[in-house]
Amino acid sequence: MAGLDLDPTQLDRYSRHIIMDDVGPEGQAALLDADVLVVGAGGLGSPVIEYLAAAGVGTLAVVDDDTVERSNLQRQILHRDADVGTPKVDSARRYVTDLNPDVNFEGHAVRLTRENARDLLSDRDFVVDCTDNFGTRYLVNDACVLAGVPFSHGAIYKFEGQALTVTPDGPCYRCVFPEAPEEGTVPDCATAGVLGVLPGTMGCLQATEAVKSILGVGDLLTGRMLHYDAASVGFEEVPIARDPDCPVCGDDPIESVEDVEYTGGCTVA
Amino acid sequence: MEWKLFADLAEVAGDDRITVSVPADATVGDALEALLDDRPALRERVLADDGTLYDHVNLLRNGADASLADDAAPDDELALFPPVSGG
Repeated sequence: MAGLDLDPTQLDRYSRHIIMDDVGPEGQAALLDADVLVVGAGGLGSPVIEYLAAAGVGTLAVVDDDTVERSNLQRQILHRDADVGTPKVDSARRYVTDLNPDVNFEGHAVRLTRENARDLLSDRDFVVDCTDNFGTRYLVNDACVLAGVPFSHGAIYKFEGQALTVTPDGPCYRCVFPEAPEEGTVPDCATAGVLGVLPGTMGCLQATEAVKSILGVGDLLTGRMLHYDAASVGFEEVPIARDPDCPVCGDDPIESVEDVEYTGGCTVA
Repeated sequence: MEWKLFADLAEVAGDDRITVSVPADATVGDALEALLDDRPALRERVLADDGTLYDHVNLLRNGADASLADDAAPDDELALFPPVSGG
């Protein structure tokens, strides 16, 4: 029984998990054995990385090719003023290794691409999409569904957030939004602005989904897109169905992401 | 009936809740036309060159997927729901 391998320090560190019937020593051991990839160490990625590290996710991989900018610090709580100009994966590594020696941190200071997605994603237990652009979001969706890896989608706009968890049998993000808006149609955070605490709320929902998926407890946010409005404090769910014609999770899926262009509408030819 | 607009669509339209009046036998498509007549700036944002709704704009009736041919009742809440990408 893996749960019996927890040492006295771990029994203390994770005692508030272990005492819960739905987690217990077995659940905590599953977290310590888990391998999670977080794509993006920005606004959403910050709370995701922090809570997954605190929860003792054994392998925590982060992919982000950005460096910290001062304008990030209003919401990207992983990074400090002194980190401006340095790689985001470096601040993530510092935070995680300072917080929890049980976590094996794996930093990838590269952009997720069609070419490296399979290597970076396919052997994970869970992936968390914390990116800031449609191209990478469609790539994460497609690569995860094709590799059979569950993932959490989260996205933010001013006071509004969207979240969805996708399991390999769908429905997937493409079932809701078959193609992306043309670039420039929907303003990004740099253009529209974003409430600084909003990615905290949405990222915490995503981290919760990752932990639930690893533990196998509760109901994942599948088959429904969650919408959060921070201005009115409203949560709404939009039911979504698997599209049999979806090129990724449908009846006749593509075999790989290699032939998909992740620009413009990100459509599957 | 009332339209609810999410994310940037509310900004383009100037409001996130817009009431339109349509005849008793109207369809969701008629209600969309009434909305776009009332908020012309929204037309270009949600309709493709061929006049159909963009694939990335979800059309909802009372919180669930809908089509333009569906009947629309006076107390329906209709919505347009686009994706956002910030992170």
